Amino acid sequence: MPEKPPRPIKILSSLPLNLLLNGVLIIPFIIMIYLALVKWSPLVGVNWWNAPFGGVVNFQRALSDSRFIEALGRTALFVAIVVPLELLIGLLLAYILQKPFRGKRFVISLLIYPLMLPPVVVATVFYLFFQPYGPVNNIFLQYVIGPRALNIYWFLDPTLAFITIIVADTWQWTPFMFLIMYSGLSAVPKRLIEAAEVLGASEWTIFWKVRLPLIKPLISVAVILRSLEAFKVFDYVYVMTGGGPGTSTESISLYIYRLAILYSDISYAAAVSLIVLAIIFIVSYFAVKILVGRR
Amino acid sequence: MGGEKASGEKPKKFDPDRRQFVITIGSAIVALGIGYALGYLTKPVERITTTVTKTVTQTVTQTVTAAPPSPTPTPVPEYPELSDVARRAVLGVKKLIADGVVPKGATLRILHVAGSKAQLEKAIELWSKYVPEIKVELITMGTEPDVYTKAMSEAVTKTGAYDIVTIFSTWLGDLVEAGLAKDITVYFSKYDPEYVGPNAPIEPLGSYTTLYKGKRYALTLDSDVFTLTYRKDLLNNPKYKEEFKATYGYDLKVPDTWEEVINIAEFFTNKKLTSPRGGRVWGAYFYVEPAFAAYISWTNIFLEAGGILFDLETMDPKVDSPEGRYAFDILLKLKPFMPPEAISAAWADLYDKYIHGESVLTAAWPSLTKMAISSPDSVVKEVTGTALMPGVKLEIGGKPTIIRASPNPVNWVGIVSNYSKYPEASYLFLQFMTAPDIGLEVILSGVILDLFRESWFKDPKYRPKAAAGYGAEFLDAYLESIKISYPDFIIRGGPEYASKLTTAVNAVMAGTMDPKTALSTVAAEWDSITKKYGRDAQLEAWRALAQLFPEPIKMAWKAKGYMK
Amino acid sequence: MLRRILTNALMWLVLIIAVVWTVIPVMWMISLSFKTYGEWRTPSLLPRNPTLDNYIMLFSPQALGIFIAYTAILEPIVGPLSRTLIISATATVIAVMIGFFTAYGASRYNSPGPFTLFFTLLTRMLPPATFVTPIVIYFTTLYLIDNIIGLILLYAATTVTYAIWILKGFIDAIPVEWEEAALLEGASPLQVLFKVIIPIARPGLVVAGLFIFLMAWTELLFALVLTNLNVPLSVQVSKYVTAVGALWGVQAAAALLSSIIPLVIGYLIQRHLITGFTFGLVRG
Repeated sequence: MPEKPPRPIKILSSLPLNLLLNGVLIIPFIIMIYLALVKWSPLVGVNWWNAPFGGVVNFQRALSDSRFIEALGRTALFVAIVVPLELLIGLLLAYILQKPFRGKRFVISLLIYPLMLPPVVVATVFYLFFQPYGPVNNIFLQYVIGPRALNIYWFLDPTLAFITIIVADTWQWTPFMFLIMYSGLSAVPKRLIEAAEVLGASEWTIFWKVRLPLIKPLISVAVILRSLEAFKVFDYVYVMTGGGPGTSTESISLYIYRLAILYSDISYAAAVSLIVLAIIFIVSYFAVKILVGRR
Repeated sequence: MGGEKASGEKPKKFDPDRRQFVITIGSAIVALGIGYALGYLTKPVERITTTVTKTVTQTVTQTVTAAPPSPTPTPVPEYPELSDVARRAVLGVKKLIADGVVPKGATLRILHVAGSKAQLEKAIELWSKYVPEIKVELITMGTEPDVYTKAMSEAVTKTGAYDIVTIFSTWLGDLVEAGLAKDITVYFSKYDPEYVGPNAPIEPLGSYTTLYKGKRYALTLDSDVFTLTYRKDLLNNPKYKEEFKATYGYDLKVPDTWEEVINIAEFFTNKKLTSPRGGRVWGAYFYVEPAFAAYISWTNIFLEAGGILFDLETMDPKVDSPEGRYAFDILLKLKPFMPPEAISAAWADLYDKYIHGESVLTAAWPSLTKMAISSPDSVVKEVTGTALMPGVKLEIGGKPTIIRASPNPVNWVGIVSNYSKYPEASYLFLQFMTAPDIGLEVILSGVILDLFRESWFKDPKYRPKAAAGYGAEFLDAYLESIKISYPDFIIRGGPEYASKLTTAVNAVMAGTMDPKTALSTVAAEWDSITKKYGRDAQLEAWRALAQLFPEPIKMAWKAKGYMK
Repeated sequence: MLRRILTNALMWLVLIIAVVWTVIPVMWMISLSFKTYGEWRTPSLLPRNPTLDNYIMLFSPQALGIFIAYTAILEPIVGPLSRTLIISATATVIAVMIGFFTAYGASRYNSPGPFTLFFTLLTRMLPPATFVTPIVIYFTTLYLIDNIIGLILLYAATTVTYAIWILKGFIDAIPVEWEEAALLEGASPLQVLFKVIIPIARPGLVVAGLFIFLMAWTELLFALVLTNLNVPLSVQVSKYVTAVGALWGVQAAAALLSSIIPLVIGYLIQRHLITGFTFGLVRG
């Protein structure tokens, strides 16, 4: 390929992007940074452009806020659990579904159905599921541990509540990983597979040596995108546990939501968001470098 | 799928040159311009058409000059069927229209919560009978927090998108300080919604739901006072009365104190009764849930014990005190006799349990009684009794007195937006819909708004209708409860203070925090909220609010030296 | 041989478990949508007295039962449904188009460079709650409140990064030689783009398109804050959590209805997910 892009490509590949992102997002983002640097809340009664300057006050407050730090750690733990879980299950399913069979399209549509529901609705369904009067205690667990199941209160125990959120997230987002892996695996050239088979490679070897390396970039993309979203987990926590009991399942997104929307503590919320943003930015920078490799 | 690159190509490093910068800024400005143009061209159609005004005034002038001079203009209808309050509202609006302050065909927009359509729709229906020239439109949000979000959003953007907002009284402080709620004291004087006299909203509720720092900012649409709801059949059962007396040494009766509540709760929970649908019957169910209601129960006991939320001189939080610990003590003692779901389920679960016969003593909003006596699923229709909230025995002036107070959490009130084009007309709509006659009709047509004017309880013109909707026994107990009701945290930051308290109470009940730590945490958090808004400003609001608390509580405060 | 049968059986087992696991909550939701008010809090998988009331209420707002008689929701669901369809479709088209061109330039010519690409991820890194106030302020000035264009632009801007990254992954996999061959044959760069790349990157386009469509279809927070009267579907569904307690059954019905269109789309696009690298397609 010629080193310099031809004119039309050059324009097409950067101008629309710039227009869209900069036109829609840059100015609000700058406003947000401004808000983090002042001491303002709608309740203070002055217009936001007249707010008193605060400097790094909000950031200092965030660093000594234990609720913030705990939420951060908790959310990171959550991501570390759900993403690998979803990746493995999604990969497994994508592999299994490589073989053609009758009704495959129908099965795939079923499997990706969870993506079509708004997360709020999924959260509501699982909220009802894990209630004492819900199916989990009354039907499913009866088979596993019998009538004792009726005494399990999922939302009263911090660990159990955490598990319910993991279940909800996995249910909804494993199809995401599955779909990406599936489309990636489907795109592996049949010729290569046939060649390997002719050479006598077992299915296991084919998987590890042929398919996997070819979809590695897609896996990385899927992991990065999914991790970013998982970190912002909100709906399940809000609807199912309310961050409770107490604040033991409060995700960082919920905490920021409470700060910004319920307490109207806009400046502080902006500062917290920026700190979170910086942390995620740095982490993903290294993650991208490792996973996707330098170009 | 490794990236194949033609050999010899060097990967370009990030090079933020001036050109890139210019392109970024340039495209931002261009996009801004395009966006502005696009938005302007496609913005939602304004519903008010100013041309209508012009046509009307012209025709009127012409007719007047052309016709022979007549000594008196057409007589204004007197609306004899309306109450004075409603009539003043209607005449007031007509005058505004005649004076051209409000054009005919104008629309008032109300921001309201979804699901209670019937009551506001009833109000709008009645309004359009008398004032068809002004349309009223409802903008609804799914949950109350969404109404709060939208209102705050409007406070920041000041677009005039709403003329009236129906809010929880808890938010009044926030919305006044944010500049959204309009000071309507002057309209109170001009049009007299009768907040004094036989028709008045029962004090202290009428005052504390509408005043902030001494000025009027809202009209109350509702009352939300808690009453103790109990199972008459179980408490009057002779067999249980015998057993109870044998175990506890006094007669089984409606509890006067929280200790008695615990005894009754223990007694019935141990009986292990089952409800018709097969559920377990619990002795008690009081709010301790995490979303927002846990603070209600704790604050109830705390205040009755004589506790004061903030010091009246310094605004220091006073929750970490003997009264605070006592409140937790009671709640933790009640815990084994309440369903475990109380700590995690939503507020509606309390209703569900009671109407299916699964709790003996409970306390909630008036809608609980309405639901108990009229819902098709209710199994407790005939046996629901209502009483005042249990109290705390204190020594006042040497005599042991039971201090009782009822919570009045949330309570819908109507505010007029500072950015409304027609504030006076908006106020008049609110006055109209809360008038003694119109207001009663509105309340009886729905679920979430409840009685608040004294005449509805006492005046033979109104009482039968009210009794039909709520039950006569309930009415009397409810009236007494309102007289000793206390406000939510109606100061700036109220929702935040309450939320921090709710989280702590819920944590203590769930066992993840001990009461001592919880109290000191809440005190520290409350203090930082106060600092955020300015101690003096908060103190001013708190002092004003404290004056509006009911007599029993003020008595307790004075006895303990918290109030002079 | 036996090994093969065992592995096959195992794979089928896993598949069945996965399908059952996925379907059970959905089935429960379906049955919830046919349950009467009293049954909403029961664990049964099948309603005892199935009723269509929940669905009827979506289309003609009216009373649902004696106590719930006062909780009708104002707008029939048709309006928000069509609004959301327009918003999601337009946002998807914009995002995928822009994403595609950017991904191509990034993959082949490093324009925009890797750092800029990484920067676009920023749009997905920020917890949305704090962004609400600045966006509301900004959009109010631009008259984009209560305006579908505002939502379209916002959704396109915040999801274009998905399109870029997914598409780049697919485009990277296409050997450069094919394009070079086409260029040598005299095709213009744009023709190469359209005739060579697009057909092969189709799965990527489709996957990215579907995700972006779904994200726009189900987004709630900004839709709530940026609209008043012209609400999209997700906001409308949220209204069924009312002041008198959540109307679970109606919410379930609304959610199911609103998922039909994405479901249909998801089914239809599947044939595009398999490109089959059919060699010999280069010419033309």
